[in-house]
Amino acid sequence: MNMVEKILARASGRQSVEPGDVVVAEVDLLIMHDLSGWLTSRVFDKQVGGPVRHPERVAMVFDHHYSPPTEDAADMLKANREWARRNGIQLFDCGNGNIHHTVVRRGLVRPGAIVVGSDSHTPVHGALGAFAAALGNDSHAGTVLPYGKAWFRVPETVRVELVGTPPPGTTARDVALWLVGQIGEGGLIYAAVEFAGPYVKELPFWDRWLFPLLCVDLGAKCSFVEPDEVTEEFVRSLPPGAADRPAHSDGGEAARVLRFDVGGVAPQVACPPTVGNLADVSALAGTPVQYAELGGHAGGRLEDFRAAAEVLQGRRVHPDVRFNVVPSSREVFTEAVREGLVLALHEAGATWFPPSTGSNQAYNMGAMAAGESMISTHARNFPGRNGSAEANMYLAAARTVAASAVTGTITDAGELA
Amino acid sequence: MSELVNEPSARRELAKGVVGGTAIVFGDDVNTDVIIPGRYLVSIDPAELAEHAFEPLGPELQQRLRASDVVVAGRNFGCGSAREQASTCLIGAGISAVVARSFSRVFFRNAINTGLVAVECPDAVDAVEDGAEVLVDYGAGTVTVGGQSFGFAPYPPGLRVILEAGGLIPHLMQQAKAGQRG
Repeated sequence: MNMVEKILARASGRQSVEPGDVVVAEVDLLIMHDLSGWLTSRVFDKQVGGPVRHPERVAMVFDHHYSPPTEDAADMLKANREWARRNGIQLFDCGNGNIHHTVVRRGLVRPGAIVVGSDSHTPVHGALGAFAAALGNDSHAGTVLPYGKAWFRVPETVRVELVGTPPPGTTARDVALWLVGQIGEGGLIYAAVEFAGPYVKELPFWDRWLFPLLCVDLGAKCSFVEPDEVTEEFVRSLPPGAADRPAHSDGGEAARVLRFDVGGVAPQVACPPTVGNLADVSALAGTPVQYAELGGHAGGRLEDFRAAAEVLQGRRVHPDVRFNVVPSSREVFTEAVREGLVLALHEAGATWFPPSTGSNQAYNMGAMAAGESMISTHARNFPGRNGSAEANMYLAAARTVAASAVTGTITDAGELA
Repeated sequence: MSELVNEPSARRELAKGVVGGTAIVFGDDVNTDVIIPGRYLVSIDPAELAEHAFEPLGPELQQRLRASDVVVAGRNFGCGSAREQASTCLIGAGISAVVARSFSRVFFRNAINTGLVAVECPDAVDAVEDGAEVLVDYGAGTVTVGGQSFGFAPYPPGLRVILEAGGLIPHLMQQAKAGQRG
């Protein structure tokens, strides 16, 4: 069995499982943000009721809001707080950070765990060697909260092997975006995607993170990187959480193996309307942007701020661009302060925002008028997600976002004068 | 912020296990931000959500949606977010079934859990034109378009009982009433 199969077998009390089996598994962690938490708690109270079976295994993170902009939003957050307190679940209020980054940084996600959430990017936790999948609110309200369990069909595994060394200006984010274009959106519907090969194995943890993150755009159910020394070292850096039960493959065969050489990948931009609509940055050079942002599930990492500070050294943000910087967690902000990145980006003309999910769906920030454009490290670019359906969201690596903030047009950082 | 409608899905069955009527046809990769924009996600009321279903595609299409019973789509229908409202808003708009070449997996799971019949049947999709009459017999595993009938792999029994109950929670509540909550 491979890692996913072993975890599902363990959590469902079976000796073994095979792709296609339907199992009822014990859930180790349910994560909800302020929007999905509101929905799930309403459905649970009104249609299900009763006690939450394992409140210590449930966490809610307010990340779409860092400060409620309307009375309606304040009402929702207040109701969420009361529900969390009443049921004894863990609450991370406004200002803690993006849901996925926060639960990792607080030590709640452990190797070998089963993690579920309504956020479609929940499979990102496969980066730590967890089995993580997105379920709808009814699954959470109907089975996870009252029983501590959920049903899963055991997925077939597709191994994506990455070899080669990309050119110096190409980062892991570029390679991850490029892969969506190569495999195609919906190209791996229902699969468990294992990211492997020397390129992946040599990446530090927070760069590996960017690969399971994109599995939702491939249509996959979950994704993982086989836990190794990099995983173990990262987990040791976290505060103590639940027990680690790392699962390792013992030679299970993948249903398919896809191999890609990343040696020639140039910096990428995903253009509206979808994440799979990719182009080399050079093909879009000169496209005007009014907003640039480092934030969201795929951004707001320390690595992104370092890359931006490097690009901005000796340069300033273009006067026509609002360059917004959103740490993915309080922990990242602390480190950014210590490294001098906060001052460096601030003095170059960027604006720091509270730890949150930033402009994701424009609940607290990041709405655009018709005809405006943003380039960001976010994970989605569907029209209408950030204000007007006539606005454009371009997705790229932090280097490209920062270089574009300097010129006011989409720019390859390597081309800056 | 509306209160929850406490009834199971309003799915109209023409006969036991049979749903259908007029079809509205979409292409490939229809994403959840098109089906129900993120700003309406504070609601879980099917009727309220239905007012905003497919809003980005304009009022003319929304009107046709409300006059239709079956959504027919290409591959990867419902890709994007995990939002259950993508299914709930269609139920609110009077849609009883979605027939597609393929679904994003979360949409499929949400459809079953909310009592919306979702079947993968590429041959039927090829045969449907906008406005055609489409019948889905999810018990027998057939989609009928005009005079033609197309087969699909019937649901496993576990999923069929959820659909018959009108969704996951109504199903679990029935079980709980029967004293099975452990």
